[in-house]
Amino acid sequence: MLIGIDVGGTTTDAVLIRNGEVCSAAKVSTEPGKLLDSLLEALDAISKDVPPEQLERVVFSTTVITNLIAEGKTDRVALVLIPGPGINPESYSFPDSFYLKGAMDYRGREIQPLDETEIRKTVDLIRESGFARAAIISKFGQRNPSHELEIGEIFREIYPGCKLELGHTVSGKLNFPRRIATAMLASATRERYQEFVEKIRKALEERKIRAPVFILKADGGTLPVEKSIEFPVETIFSGPAASMIGALALTPQGQTSVVVDIGGTTTDLALILSGKPLLASKGAKLGGFLTHVRAFAVRSIAVGGDSVVRVRKTDTGKKLITVGPDRAGPAYSMGGEETTPTDALNVLGLIKVGDPERASEAIKATASCLGKSETETASLIVEKAAQTIADAVNEMFLEWEQEPAYRIWEVLQEKKARPQNVVGIGGGAKGLIDGIAKKLDARPVIPEYAEVGNAIGAAVARPTLTLNLHIDTEQKIYSVAEEGEIVSLSAANLGNFNKIRLEEAETLASKLLRERAENFGISEYAGEAEIVNSEVFNVVNGWYTSGRLFDVDMQIPAGLIPAWKRREKA
Amino acid sequence: MKLGLGKIRDVLKTGSGTGAQERKKEQVEGRNKAEKEEILKVGNEEDKPENEGNEMELKKTGLEAKERPLSPADRTGTEKTGLIFFPAFDWAISPTHPEREERLLYTRDQIFEEGLMDLPEIAEYKPRLAEYRDVARVHFCVPDIKAQATTPHLIAAGSCLVLGDALMKAEVKNAFALVRPPGHHAMTVAHGNRGFCNINNEAILVEYLRKKYGIRRIAIVDTDVHHGDGTQEIFYNDPDVLFISFHQDGRTLYPGSGFISELGGPKALGTTINIPLPPGTPDEGILYVLDSLVLPILEDFKPELVLNSAGQDNHYTDPLANMRFSAQGYAKLNEKLAPDMAVLEGGYAIQSALPYVNTGIILAMAGLDYSCVREPDFKPGMFVQAARDRKVLEETVAAQLENWENRDRLVEAEVTKHGDFYSRRKQIFYDTDMIQELQEERIRMCPDCQGYKTIDSSAHRSTNDSRIFGISVPIYACGNCQAEAREEYRKRLNLPQYEHVYLQDKKQDEYRAYNSRTKQETIY
Ligand SMILES: [Zn+2]
Ligand SMILES: [Zn+2]
Ligand SMILES: [Zn+2]
Repeated sequence: MLIGIDVGGTTTDAVLIRNGEVCSAAKVSTEPGKLLDSLLEALDAISKDVPPEQLERVVFSTTVITNLIAEGKTDRVALVLIPGPGINPESYSFPDSFYLKGAMDYRGREIQPLDETEIRKTVDLIRESGFARAAIISKFGQRNPSHELEIGEIFREIYPGCKLELGHTVSGKLNFPRRIATAMLASATRERYQEFVEKIRKALEERKIRAPVFILKADGGTLPVEKSIEFPVETIFSGPAASMIGALALTPQGQTSVVVDIGGTTTDLALILSGKPLLASKGAKLGGFLTHVRAFAVRSIAVGGDSVVRVRKTDTGKKLITVGPDRAGPAYSMGGEETTPTDALNVLGLIKVGDPERASEAIKATASCLGKSETETASLIVEKAAQTIADAVNEMFLEWEQEPAYRIWEVLQEKKARPQNVVGIGGGAKGLIDGIAKKLDARPVIPEYAEVGNAIGAAVARPTLTLNLHIDTEQKIYSVAEEGEIVSLSAANLGNFNKIRLEEAETLASKLLRERAENFGISEYAGEAEIVNSEVFNVVNGWYTSGRLFDVDMQIPAGLIPAWKRREKA
Repeated sequence: MKLGLGKIRDVLKTGSGTGAQERKKEQVEGRNKAEKEEILKVGNEEDKPENEGNEMELKKTGLEAKERPLSPADRTGTEKTGLIFFPAFDWAISPTHPEREERLLYTRDQIFEEGLMDLPEIAEYKPRLAEYRDVARVHFCVPDIKAQATTPHLIAAGSCLVLGDALMKAEVKNAFALVRPPGHHAMTVAHGNRGFCNINNEAILVEYLRKKYGIRRIAIVDTDVHHGDGTQEIFYNDPDVLFISFHQDGRTLYPGSGFISELGGPKALGTTINIPLPPGTPDEGILYVLDSLVLPILEDFKPELVLNSAGQDNHYTDPLANMRFSAQGYAKLNEKLAPDMAVLEGGYAIQSALPYVNTGIILAMAGLDYSCVREPDFKPGMFVQAARDRKVLEETVAAQLENWENRDRLVEAEVTKHGDFYSRRKQIFYDTDMIQELQEERIRMCPDCQGYKTIDSSAHRSTNDSRIFGISVPIYACGNCQAEAREEYRKRLNLPQYEHVYLQDKKQDEYRAYNSRTKQETIY
């Protein structure tokens, strides 16, 4: 039996899955101060009568740490930055930054040495300013981390208590500002995340559950909880990923769908293209910062069940309905102040929440402004909300089609897709999803257990893993972006590395991926690995080739565990 | 979704097969639909009297009226800089040729590591393929367009068109096509590759924008270290296109042209301006030419659009030339010139220059602080202009300012020297493909327009020779020239000495190529 628990900001959702089907589900409120109690309550609601030894796996997803970032309740981090030539670092909007001399180039060659006196002064200043944490990030530090390591050494010598985060260990990808943000968030949330993991452990211990425990990452993959301590940023944003995997589990295999999560204030959209969830091309935006965190592409629009409905007069005197972007408390039928789509859906009999008398009252008020009947007005409100969401869906597909391309084959590849299914999850989905689907000429799907789809997603997600191998035969080195270590090519057993072919680079990548999978305890999924991108460049000096650069990117993509029996559950 | 490797190879394989043609067709249809929508969006402008005039003329020549051009949208208040980065990582002329796969690899590393694409000031666009008719609007391709404009060429040209559209629709305030392969050595007739170029990206962009948006006066400033001889040749007789090129003195560098005496055809004298620079000219010298000559002339010409044909081979580390321009100099140049659009040309110091130069140009065009962009070995003041060279430049600037001021008189005097036609013979060498071309170019000395142009061209290769005849009707040609030119085309169809005969009717936006061996005519 499998357990999935999504710890959200307001509710904690849990499901128990037996023989590949949902056996029980529960929704309890999250008490931020008493997280342990919430976890126990959720666990008990679904698995009270289940002997703990029958549980095979428990997976958690959460947004509570992301919420801490949004609320500014994380720890202060001193950012030690080595920007080198390029954009003026003064233009960055990171807090608490300390700039140092020194620079690496794009191939990891030192172009300016560090200034040790400057470093020592800066470390002293950081200590005197009361920072307990520092993140050290150098431009192109992923191509050569020696500056980051050297500065780390000085910290350890003169400020040993300071907790350090090094940029190259956080992400091996190009994009210095994103690496700064990612390292900063990793440092700022590390202890908060550890506290969260402690609570989980405690809750499971109290209920004598000894099954392996996993955390969901933002890319929809599971990670063993003890491993997750090393990668806190990848796991702090897993709520949306849980919903996405849940939608994937509850819709037909291999189809193209848009997942529409309609909440009170906003609606979140995500895409499943031919059965594969679409990842954000660069990384997630967390707490206002662009990061390297691998995550699904999510578009948020300011329309929800509680959005304020207004009547606007155009210049030509025509009266139009607007929905959102703001929310002024709950719907009128739920005791709020303003007319909302929820009230309109109530009047049309599409949903039944709150006080129907009040819903009717709200719509009547809007109707008199508009000069139309009550039913007509309610229909127009629903129509307007559905149209806004459908437009955003089309824009999202268009944006995907228009993603930049850097290679000829990418330009030639016809990217074109439109949704077959509109999958509604979240509280506001019920009444609106039909209207949205109609506008998109797609099938409306509201899966069974849609309200706990996120917990199902956590329960049935499988592990993901990426591996980005970079080989520089001229410098006789290779590196795996995810591990941040520069390794001598002679350790790779490739024979004469002046004659390495792309196939051999791919073989090395596969071998390293298998090792990495083993290290993560997910060997059984290594066979699912695929090559995402693979290319080779000649390094030419003068008129002859002096070396080659290889880049091989592999991944075990997000997906469902084999135990989940997918079938049409709409 | 990204493809696995196997699929990549399949896509590349089918690139020339029927699959690609099918896709192409779909794409064209899709685009036509999109363009119609554009007309609905932008085209509700008042009719212009000029357009009515065009229609009258068309009726006179018996040709049907085409759709009216759209109007460029107002760009005031537009904030973003449009960018297409198309490094063509899967294309090279040959593995060790300077124009090879990794030419922009380190530039990619630098601009991605800087996070430039995330900046709110930058809007990144996706490339597309230019259509054959976009190429036919500029070139006579021998034997056909497919042979000269392969997929990467069409993508580089198409990227310029994507950005041109974004500019005209006021989605962006300016734009940079950071694309390869380059194009400024490609001339009207394309027998093969010259100076790493097959088709001329800037010229294709100019004619596309003029046709689609009805703009007329355009300035192209060629800042590549090599003379932009292709662009110069294409617009040599067009007084509406101001072509200014500064480059290392043609006596010391390929292609060996671009002297101050090359001022334009009889009716366009003064709208071609060449500034040969002494080898070793640093930032100081080029910025002097910009301030004292280029900017005043632009001010005077009042173009509707300024393009920077932006080569980066003036750099002090470039392996193919001998200049001393720096990344800071390039950024300053683009800040001062403030082109509506820059298109990458040459630049082969792929490690020591391009990453820094491109970062500098992007920041400058986006109006951002570029003061921290510098090459690893750069020290301010490391290059000083020699007094002797400074004097050479001052003389050149003075001479060209005088030519510019006297251009109306120069045209007047020159036109009286010719009868109904002006003709000149030219020899053109294709260095990459080892072709020797002989041309006779004739311009109709029309009192009402710039006149149509005919080119009789023979190409001598080691294996075979070929001769073609091409007729070009300018976009703003008079009805008489158009009718006469079309008749010239018809008459040439039966002449056995020409393997191919071309009609380029830019006024009608109709392009024909006749193959006299197969007796088939292709209409683009
Ligand atoms: Zn030039
Ligand atoms: Zn050049
Ligand atoms: Zn004429």
